[in-house]
Amino acid sequence: MKKLFYLTCLSILFASCEKEVDLDLDNKSGTLVIEGNITDQPGPYYVRITRSVPFTNTNQSPPVTDAFITITDTQGQADTLQHLADGRYQTNNLHTVPGHTYNLFVKTAGVSYTAQSTMPAAVDLEGLQQDPVKMGSDTYYNILPIFTDPAPLGNRYFFILTVNGHTKKILQTISDNVNNGLVNQRSIITSREEDEEIKVGDRVNVEMQSVDERMYSYYTALVQITADRGPGGSVTPANPPSNINSGALGYFSAHTTRSSSIEIR
Amino acid sequence: MAQQKHTVNGIIKDRRNGELMIGVTVRIEGKPSVGTASNEYGFYSLSLPKGNYTLIISYIGYDEQRQHVQLDKNARIDWLLEQATESKNNLQEVLVSSAKKGKNLSNAQMGMETLDIKKIEKLPVLFGEKDVMKTLQLLPGIKSSGEGNSGFSVRGGATDQNLILLDEATVYNASHLLGFFSTFNSDALKDATIIKGNSPAQYGGRLSSVMDIKMKDGNNQDYSLAGGIGLISGRLSAEGPIQKGRSSFIVSGRRTYADLLLQSSEDFKDSKLYFYDLNVKANYEINQNNRIYLSGYFGRDVLGFGDTFGTDWGNTTATLRWNSVINSRLFSNTSIIYSNYDYKLNFSSSGNDFGLNSQIKDWNFKEDFSWFANPKHNVRFGLQSIYHTIAPSRVSGTSVSSYPKSTRYSWENALYINDEFKATDRLTINYGLRLSAFTVMGGDTYNTYNNGVLTDSLTLAKGKLGKTYLNPEPRITANYRINDVSSVKAGYSRNTQNIHLLSNSSGGRPTDQWIGSSYTVKPEIADQVSIGYSRNFHDNDYEVNVEGYYKQMQNQIDYKNGADITFDASKDIESELLFGKGRAYGFELIAKKKSGNLTGWISYTLSKTERKIDGINNNNWYDASLDKTHDVSVVATYQLTPRWSLSGLFLYSTGNAVTFPTGKYELSGQTVFQYSERNADRMPAYHRLDLSATYETKKKKRFQSSWTFGLYNVYGRENAYTFSFEDDPDNPGTTRVMQTSLFRWVPNITYNFKF
Repeated sequence: MKKLFYLTCLSILFASCEKEVDLDLDNKSGTLVIEGNITDQPGPYYVRITRSVPFTNTNQSPPVTDAFITITDTQGQADTLQHLADGRYQTNNLHTVPGHTYNLFVKTAGVSYTAQSTMPAAVDLEGLQQDPVKMGSDTYYNILPIFTDPAPLGNRYFFILTVNGHTKKILQTISDNVNNGLVNQRSIITSREEDEEIKVGDRVNVEMQSVDERMYSYYTALVQITADRGPGGSVTPANPPSNINSGALGYFSAHTTRSSSIEIR
Repeated sequence: MAQQKHTVNGIIKDRRNGELMIGVTVRIEGKPSVGTASNEYGFYSLSLPKGNYTLIISYIGYDEQRQHVQLDKNARIDWLLEQATESKNNLQEVLVSSAKKGKNLSNAQMGMETLDIKKIEKLPVLFGEKDVMKTLQLLPGIKSSGEGNSGFSVRGGATDQNLILLDEATVYNASHLLGFFSTFNSDALKDATIIKGNSPAQYGGRLSSVMDIKMKDGNNQDYSLAGGIGLISGRLSAEGPIQKGRSSFIVSGRRTYADLLLQSSEDFKDSKLYFYDLNVKANYEINQNNRIYLSGYFGRDVLGFGDTFGTDWGNTTATLRWNSVINSRLFSNTSIIYSNYDYKLNFSSSGNDFGLNSQIKDWNFKEDFSWFANPKHNVRFGLQSIYHTIAPSRVSGTSVSSYPKSTRYSWENALYINDEFKATDRLTINYGLRLSAFTVMGGDTYNTYNNGVLTDSLTLAKGKLGKTYLNPEPRITANYRINDVSSVKAGYSRNTQNIHLLSNSSGGRPTDQWIGSSYTVKPEIADQVSIGYSRNFHDNDYEVNVEGYYKQMQNQIDYKNGADITFDASKDIESELLFGKGRAYGFELIAKKKSGNLTGWISYTLSKTERKIDGINNNNWYDASLDKTHDVSVVATYQLTPRWSLSGLFLYSTGNAVTFPTGKYELSGQTVFQYSERNADRMPAYHRLDLSATYETKKKKRFQSSWTFGLYNVYGRENAYTFSFEDDPDNPGTTRVMQTSLFRWVPNITYNFKF
């Protein structure tokens, strides 16, 4: 929607221009970043620990290699993760069950961090459909994920769309708040940027995650700060509300995952 | 022994077109301390001891009139003022006028400026669309939200804290085309007044300011047609008498035509992109003492792309009012007012429809009395009752099964009294009290949250009265005239606000939503103290006003960091809100040159505005986004020859407070930016110069026309509109900052005619 606003504005504002500039940005980096995912698929599962870097640096995040990490559940499982390399830690024998709640504990440089996440029941992704949108002489392709929302209210979905295996992803969240219990009819809105738009012949992969409420809030906020900012550009950005305490960035998500691919024709 | 007193009263109009004249000074020869001014309906009343007097009626740009009156009983004298012809009076029209030269010294009202619409026509504007809201933003203490935005902040307030009235009706969204233009078509307007927080008690409901815009009444002498065509819009107005010399009508319309050009290109042939405004007004004189007015405004923006996407939004207002001279000293104005703002949005793809809409609708009853008790006391009292219906953003469509948000109702009432008291020849005190009551009405479930945690829930049946917030709002301003050329002023006022706009952008979008006070959302309260000094120079040709203010605000509202405000937000929007307080202080200066070939003003504001919201920035004070430390405008018009005039405008302001990244990190290969404190960074300073020239052609019989040529942003400053932070596609693994700027060198040409 923002993109449409933007597009319309651009058509009025023949005089607008864009250029690269240098801004003297404040540096408050060095914050711990935790990215932990456990799924309903067979393990092992991974937690990655890094620290944030200044804006002017390269994107390489320095890994934290000496952290003590455990994942426990309410059924008495406790798994101490092993460091592989580059800040990546792996579970040993953790077995996951949808509906169960998992706790993450991380200790590094004398600070402890904890997080909790509940794995929702899985919802199947039945397939994908291309959803062409005509704008003048151009056709854009949105992607419709086919799934049936279960009857109880409160399902939360997170979609990760990848085009031709590129690293740049398109992220979107959908809740069942307005379409509870129905077959989904809402598409994933794809990029309108000239070099990122989906063309005929492209291979599109979509991962659908069922996530808990807190992860849904986290991802919704993440999408807001990473998406195009549009006219005015004045939405006050902030770090997404993490489910990890003690001021760490990132998240710990227990989710179910399903994937599907489609070739645009 | 009390002397017997009699009253002289009447209505003052412009002879040429019968428009009622506001703020015309009525004086008595030889008695400099006695006098009054006509109210907003052109009515004046003056009580004097029995005797012989000479009344002097004066208004800048008009010939002074005198009449002898033998006051042994009440007398009614109506006046028709004649515009001063150029040969008689060399005064150039002033841009910002006090009704009478030197009136700034005697009026107790503080923080008030009035713009005469006729007189802003020559100022340079974007695309040549003259815009009263943009011009008001050139005054001290009033800050623009930025280019491409018609939102504004008065003395550190938020954009929703301005009460925008069009013929008494609230206009909830005063912008067109996402904010590039305002909804006010200058052709239909008479004047615009802004009061910065010290409003008299008859106004209420918003914390920061009152912008009171009045439509023209229409010419009651003769029919006339006026219009114009500019780069993006065309305008046409017709006016004329209903009863010659007694009543009249005016119809005025404006529509943009950029879409017609767009549609000729293949890429945009299915697009819709336009807005229109229609203003209509009629008045009818029942008899000498009673007159009714009906005015209406309809405006809409339409934006769409084939069947895929469409959105439209707009305001509708209607005002029916009845002016009645009850007796020689009591004047009554009764109004019934309707306001509506709504937007609709729909998407359609692969046979699925999806829609989003929201609405705010008011029915408003007002009864206002002006009682000219005696020459020392001029009392205003009355009541106001508004019934609000607010439908929150709601979705509809083929894939929607349920939506848990219902329409909410509320009832806002106020009683007020205000006395303008001429205590001595030098001291005038304007004091009053407004008692406001806001009642939550039934028909929905109201939740109570404490820091976003649900603590209570209450379902109110439809028609039942819920919680009522009662707030007394005392207001006082005093003016002491030191001598013939200078005066000092001081004031205190409290304002409350019960209708709030939730917006996560400083500028405002059509989809921002209004909410009423509830069990969680408390009335906003502002207390402001201000002091001022005015001095006139050179026989009142130059005027300098300075004011300082300090303002405190309670129960300010903001979204949580990362609040979910998308249309399928799962939660009650009230759970996403945080509350806190605000403070603002500043110094304002305006120096005007009011006559001669060169007229204009220089305005400067030095100010600070901060917020302290529980849950943001560790509960510390932080700069509000519209905290612009320095703000300068220079406005000038020069009459080169009787036909040619030149105008110029220069603006400079400190950049808005914004939040830039303070670091970055990686999640699953995606770069994510890290943020720390809110609004700790600044946009670069904003400045630009605009110029325009107007040529008035020779008048042929009744036909008059003019050409205006302008250039916006003369030196092509690339003012930053947004910054975006992104991965650098040219250097993978690094990030860059992109700046977007709008409007470099935008020329315009406008043709206006009238006959």
